[in-house]
Amino acid sequence: MRKYLGLATVAALILSAAACGSENNQRVSEGESLSGTELTVYSGRSEEFIGPFFADFESATGINLNVRYGDSAELAAQLLEEGNNSPADIFISQDAGSLGAVAESGMLTTLDAEILNLAPTEYQAKSGAWVGLTARARVFAYDPVKVTELPDSIDDLLDPKWNGKIGIAPTNASFQAFVTALRQLRGEVAAESWLAGIAANNPVAYEKNSMIVEAINAGEIELGLVNHYYIYEVAEALGGEINVKNGFFAVGDPGNLINVSGAGILNTARNSAGAAELIKYLLSNESQNRFVSDTNEYSILLEVPSPQGLPTFADIGTPVVDLDALKDVRLTQEMLVRVGLL
Amino acid sequence: MSITKNAVTPSQKMAGGIAVPRMLQISALFVLFLASIPLGYLLLRAIASGFAAASAVLLREKTVSTLITTVGLAILVALFSAMIGISSAWLIQRTNLPSPGLFLVLGTLALAVPSYVSTYAWIALIPSFAGFAAAVFILSLTTAPYVLLAALASLRRIDATQEESARASGLTASQVARRVIWPQSRPAIFASLLLVMLYVLSDFGAVSLLRVDTFTRVVHTMYKATFDRSAAAVVALILVLLAAILIYVEYKARGSAVAAKSGLGSIRSATRIDLGFKKYLAASYLLIIAIASLGVPIYVLITRFVSVAAEINVSNLVSATIATVSAALSGALLAMLFAIPLGILAARYSGRLSRYAEFGILLTHALPGVVIGLALVALGSRLGFLYQSLPLLAFSYAVLFLAKAVGSIRTSIARVPRVYDDISRSLGNNNWQTIRKITIPIAAPGVITGFLLVLLTAMKELPATLMLRPTGFDTLAIEIWTQTSISQYGQAAPYALILVLVAATPTYLLSRPDRAQSSESRENMTL
Repeated sequence: MRKYLGLATVAALILSAAACGSENNQRVSEGESLSGTELTVYSGRSEEFIGPFFADFESATGINLNVRYGDSAELAAQLLEEGNNSPADIFISQDAGSLGAVAESGMLTTLDAEILNLAPTEYQAKSGAWVGLTARARVFAYDPVKVTELPDSIDDLLDPKWNGKIGIAPTNASFQAFVTALRQLRGEVAAESWLAGIAANNPVAYEKNSMIVEAINAGEIELGLVNHYYIYEVAEALGGEINVKNGFFAVGDPGNLINVSGAGILNTARNSAGAAELIKYLLSNESQNRFVSDTNEYSILLEVPSPQGLPTFADIGTPVVDLDALKDVRLTQEMLVRVGLL
Repeated sequence: MSITKNAVTPSQKMAGGIAVPRMLQISALFVLFLASIPLGYLLLRAIASGFAAASAVLLREKTVSTLITTVGLAILVALFSAMIGISSAWLIQRTNLPSPGLFLVLGTLALAVPSYVSTYAWIALIPSFAGFAAAVFILSLTTAPYVLLAALASLRRIDATQEESARASGLTASQVARRVIWPQSRPAIFASLLLVMLYVLSDFGAVSLLRVDTFTRVVHTMYKATFDRSAAAVVALILVLLAAILIYVEYKARGSAVAAKSGLGSIRSATRIDLGFKKYLAASYLLIIAIASLGVPIYVLITRFVSVAAEINVSNLVSATIATVSAALSGALLAMLFAIPLGILAARYSGRLSRYAEFGILLTHALPGVVIGLALVALGSRLGFLYQSLPLLAFSYAVLFLAKAVGSIRTSIARVPRVYDDISRSLGNNNWQTIRKITIPIAAPGVITGFLLVLLTAMKELPATLMLRPTGFDTLAIEIWTQTSISQYGQAAPYALILVLVAATPTYLLSRPDRAQSSESRENMTL
């Protein structure tokens, strides 16, 4: 009997603790001072990189942030499952695809023109459901000792001399976004034949971009298709200089895709005013400069200079791609399966 | 009137076994209802996709290759896991191996290392470590302790007199093993192998890092890449079907009842076989296994940590440890609470209800954490303040690991002689009073074993924790995920080390050779 009572007491205690800890569900009405209000953020960007921004935002505005960190795509799946019951006010994503999926289900509100006007139109949803926060370039990371003649185009990588020397991350959202863009730019047939050519060159598949960079550093492969900032991340993680460099393809090549991280506000947000403040804060000149210097990302704002040692967008010559359409990677995945990369 | 354990009169059989007390029936059905929420969710999602869409997903070429990979992996892992587990158990229990206690602890401690941590470690050591063979290797090492503990417990339960009389009547050692030891160990070993295979079906950490497309990984990829929840649910249902087949096969192959114990008197253990010089060979064999499963992860974690000389954020480390322990403790307590009616039902009132109950919770056990997580997100987000609260997280652990809890309660209650119940009733106690006053106290050690097992497993859980934890509630597993997702392996190392250390505590208690009754209760981890 005592055992039962003990268990029941514990369960009751847990339940009551949760009841007390439940958050303030009051909706913030317009015109009210935002200081002291709560804002729930679903962040697909990691705490390490965006946490300091949140802390400064809190002290500047008095808004209290409840930040839930996770993987962008998993948070998007979670948001879709929560539907109108989502506790989230704002969704910050590592890539346009996850934002596009949530926007497509009609869960994101159209942002105010005041916010949309801050960023160039090519880095936001056409519907105005989300806006880009930072940009990242696809590059090839390479071993500067072994690779002396740099490829000009992704097509150069089909040369048999690269057999077994290229690293890719076919399961990774960033690689699949690139393939989706390639389909958009060149059409299905040409995209598939490029993938088949790469597959014929026996690339080494990794789970993550960072693993590709590590493998180049370890001398296992010579070149890999990654986002530009991974060489900085890996260098920091390994505690020093690494033998890997970023390279860009020729102007206009699909390999130079620019993808964005971005944010959207939920229809059901209880504090949409606070959420709008947060987006404006992250798009301010000050924050944008800080993204560039702290995380080596590109600013979404044209007036902010590119990260040290990297070319400007104009110099890269980014192909023109509809970022909104990057969400549908199903055909991309089927294609990857067909050529044997997935 | 004396009723032997499995004797049921025809009329009782037709009624579905001995009359089940109303309260027990209601509480068992209630728990079963709670535990089948994820399965129900999957069915609803899959139906939502419509027949045409569902068959399009099912008839993909990919489904066939995934099926082959998944089944092949499960079978090979079960095979190697059985080889490692049974040989280790025999060496530890039946030979003059030097320091058997140490090897038992080393063999069990591998349970404290999450599969994603040991996989990371092996990749760090051998960067090209990937693929099917690598997955067989890692998962066999990770799951071998389940078989080891099950085999060990059944070896200890076999009365030496049986073996001695078998030898005396002229049987050779291998004949004794085949005719006396194996039939008695088989149910426990088969049950542990079922758990091993269900584990392989639901594992995500190892297969994703090693790029092996099992159904669990495919479900995950589908959720992430296409946000197509219905298609993912269809694939997850194939997983459920696969699990159902495995459970059925094991049920048929297991043979006799769980609690076939020959008498109530104390059991005399068999004499240990003298291996001579070969005992050092045996010791090195066990040592190599321990190095592969335990040594490599710990070595890599420490060197990664030292090489970056990452500053340890002590307050983060402490709060993550507290979060891990409190979440896992509440989850394990809730799991035991849920498991009590089902365990009693299975042990005492075996019939249709108990069989369905067992089947249902085993099916849930094979579901990937991401499926259970999303099911509870769908439900929990409608529950207001309970959503993303500690109780809901604890509930998800209870659902995920209920099979382990029920298994241990069932075996330990089945060991309580039925005649005690009859005596209690003859003294005027009703069914519930009998359960409370007689059954529960005697079954307690087994219940504790189950509790430790759920505790240990819940500490390592990641996918459901990511979705259901209270916002800002970062467990050690979450911290490891956070750091590794931005390639900061050095910074992840202290969290991983602490997790292994914290999880080692319940693991050590599970393996402790000197604990009273532990030899019996240890088998309870199996069903």
